[in-house]
Amino acid sequence: MRIGHFKETYTADEAVFQSGFVRSALVLLFLGLAGFPFVAGPYWLYLANHAAIAITAAVGLNILTGFAGQISLGHAAFVGIGAYTAAILSSRWGWPILVCLPVSGFTAAVCGLVVGAPSMRMKGLYLCITTLAAQMIFEFLFVRAEPLTNGIRGINVPPAEVFGLVLDTEGKLYFVTIPVMMAAVTAGRNLFRTRVGRAWVAIRDRDISAELMGINLFRYKLLAFAVSSFYAGVAGCLYAHLYKVVTPEHFPLHESVRYLAMIIIGGLGSVLGAIYGAIFMTLVPELLQWILGRFQQAHPAIMQDLFPLQTVVFGALIVAFLVFEPHGLAEMWRRLKDAFRLWPFHRE
Amino acid sequence: MIKRSLRIGWVTAWAAVQAAVAAEPIVITAQMPITGRFAFGGRHLDQGLTDYLTYVNEQGGVNGTPIEYHFEDTGYDLRRAVATFKKQMAKHHPVMNYGESTGQGKALAPEINDRYRVVYGSTSFSRELSDRHHYPYMFVSGPTYDQQFGILLKYIAAHPKANDRPPRVAFFYSDTEFGRDPIPAARAQAEAFGIQVVTEVITPVGAIDTTSQVLELRRHRPDYCIFQGYVVPPIPSVIRGARDFGLDTTFMGTFWTMSNMLLDQLGPDGEGFMGVNPYAYWHDQDVPMIQIIRDFNRRHHPDVDHRPNYYMQGWFTGMVFVKLAELCQAEGLPVTGENLKDMIPRIHEWDTQGFAGTVSFRQSNASPVGRVYVARDGKFMPASDWMYLNE
Repeated sequence: MRIGHFKETYTADEAVFQSGFVRSALVLLFLGLAGFPFVAGPYWLYLANHAAIAITAAVGLNILTGFAGQISLGHAAFVGIGAYTAAILSSRWGWPILVCLPVSGFTAAVCGLVVGAPSMRMKGLYLCITTLAAQMIFEFLFVRAEPLTNGIRGINVPPAEVFGLVLDTEGKLYFVTIPVMMAAVTAGRNLFRTRVGRAWVAIRDRDISAELMGINLFRYKLLAFAVSSFYAGVAGCLYAHLYKVVTPEHFPLHESVRYLAMIIIGGLGSVLGAIYGAIFMTLVPELLQWILGRFQQAHPAIMQDLFPLQTVVFGALIVAFLVFEPHGLAEMWRRLKDAFRLWPFHRE
Repeated sequence: MIKRSLRIGWVTAWAAVQAAVAAEPIVITAQMPITGRFAFGGRHLDQGLTDYLTYVNEQGGVNGTPIEYHFEDTGYDLRRAVATFKKQMAKHHPVMNYGESTGQGKALAPEINDRYRVVYGSTSFSRELSDRHHYPYMFVSGPTYDQQFGILLKYIAAHPKANDRPPRVAFFYSDTEFGRDPIPAARAQAEAFGIQVVTEVITPVGAIDTTSQVLELRRHRPDYCIFQGYVVPPIPSVIRGARDFGLDTTFMGTFWTMSNMLLDQLGPDGEGFMGVNPYAYWHDQDVPMIQIIRDFNRRHHPDVDHRPNYYMQGWFTGMVFVKLAELCQAEGLPVTGENLKDMIPRIHEWDTQGFAGTVSFRQSNASPVGRVYVARDGKFMPASDWMYLNE
C-alpha cells in the first residue's frame, strides 16, 4: 500500500504532477484525446468540442469566483463578447482563428476591467448585482449595436481556418478546441502557484488581512476580472466557430447561471472542479436523453410524457450532489482516490 | 395510456412490417421542443407530424414506400438541438428533418448545405430560412412572419375603418428575434398598401406591466394593432387596458398567437380579436383535410376533442415532406435529400384539400398564403377567404 510521496527536493515538492502514476495517467489521457477524433462520430466530437468550450469558460469563472471570491452573474456576456469579436473579425475581414482567439480574449478582458471597476467599492452580493447589470447592458448592446452585431439576426461565421486548412467539421475543429482548453487549464493550474494566484486566494479568504499583508486589493480584483473575462472571450471565439452563428439569444442570463452552477457542482476554487462541473453539465443531459432513447424504442407513445422527466431528474441530481458533497465533484473524486489508495484501511 | 401505447405500437409495428417487405423506408427525424419554454407548442407539433406520417403509412406509404419517423426532445436548447441533430444524422441517415427553432436552422445551415444534405422543415416562420439562395434545403411551413404581416395589412387595406383617411396601424412587438423579424418588411408593406404606421411599441420578453405601452396606444388611437413575438402575455393585459381607456382598436396576431390558449385567457375580452393563420382550424366545417384529421384522431386518440393550430403545423409539415417524396418518385428520382431539395420549387398550385389554401413554393421556400380569422364565442372563425400575397 502506498501511503505518501517522499520528496527530497523543493522542486519535487512543487511539481504539479507528483507521482509517476499521475504522469502515466496523463500521458494516457493525452493519447486518448489525440486518438478520439479517429474513432468517434460527429455527435461525440461535437459533444467533446462543446465540453472543451464549457471547460475553458468554467475555469475562467472559477478563477474569479472560486479563487478570488468575486461572484459574477455576467460570465455569459463575456463569452458573448468573445464570440462577437471572433464573428466580426472572421466574417468581415477573414481573420484566422489563431489570431481571433487572443483578440477575442483581450477584448473580453478589457470589458472585464470595466465591469470589475466597482469591485473597488463593493463586494459580495452588491458586486454580484453589478455583474448582473453588466450582463443586461451587454445583452442590450448585442441587440442594439446593429452596425457591429447585425442585431437580432446575428452574424453567420465562416468555418475556421488554420494555415489555409478549413476546419469545417467538428472533427477538425477539435484539434483547436482541445489544445486551447488544455492550455487554458494548464495556465489556470499554474496561476495559483504564483504570487498573483496566492494574492487572489488571500483576498477571497479575508480581504482585510490580505490588504494588511501588502496586497493591492483593487489591482488584484481587477486582474481577476480581466483574466476571467479573457478565458470567457477565448471560449466565446471557439463557440462562434463551432456554431457558425452568433445571435444575442445565445448569451442570456441563465447561461451565466449555468456557468456558476458548473463551478459550484464541480467544486469552487479547484481547476479540476471546473472541469468536472463543465463535463457534468454538458454530458449528463445527453446521458439522460440516451437512457430515454433506449426506452423510446419499446414505448414510443408515452415518450412525450417521459421527456419532461429529464429536467426533473437532472435537477434532482444537482441537488443530491450538493447535499451529499457540498465541496463538489472534485472533492468526491479526491475521496474516491483516497479510498482506493488506502484500501483496505480507509475509513470515512 | 396503455391502449394508446398498444395502438401506436401496432402502427409502428405495421410500418416496420411494411418496411421489411417493401422498399427502403423514407427516414424522417425531428428535434422537438417537447420540454422547455416552447413545450406549449412542441408536444402538439410532434403529435401532428407523428399523426400525419402514421396516416400516410396506413394509406400504404408514399406510393408503397413506408415512412420511418424518429424524434427526440431538445428542451428548446440550441446546444442540445444541434447535438441531437448530429446524433440522429449518424444513427438514422434521414433524408428529411424537422428542427426546433430558427436558431438551429441558422446554426446548421452551412453543414446541411455542404455535408448532411437533408431537407429541413421546422417550427420557424423566419424570412431568413425561406431564402432559397442561402438555405436551399430549408423551407418554411406556410407564410413567413413578413408574409403573415403582409396578409394582415392587405386585409386592413381592404377593410378601412374610415373612408376619409388611410388606416392607422400600430405594431406591438417583443424585443426578440421572434418579435423584430418581420418589422422592417412590414413597414415597407404598410407603405405600399397606403397604411399609416402610427406607432411601434416594443416590450421586453415577459413584460407584465404594460400601462405605459397602453398609454402609447391611447395617444395614437390606431384602428388596428398587430402583435408579434408573443404567445399569450402581455396581450390580455394590453387588450383589457385598451378597453378600459375606451379604445376601439382591433387587435391582431400572427401564427403563435392564434390559439385557444389566448382566447381562454381573454374570455369575453377576446371577442373580435383577429389574426392570420396558415392552416384551417380543428372546428372549421367543410374542410376535407380537417375531416381526415378528425377521423384519424377519433380512431387513434378517442379522448381528444380538440387540436390546436400547433398540431396543424406539424401535420402540414408532414404533408410537405410527403409531397416532396411523391414529386421525387414521379420524376423517377431516388428519394435523397439532394433530390428532395430540388423538388421544393416544384411545389406549385398544390391543393391541400382546404387545409392551407393552394400552396406554392415557386417564388421562395415559403408559401405566402393564409387566412384571416376573427374570434367569435371563444373560437376563431374565418373572416376572409384564403389570401395570397404577390397577387
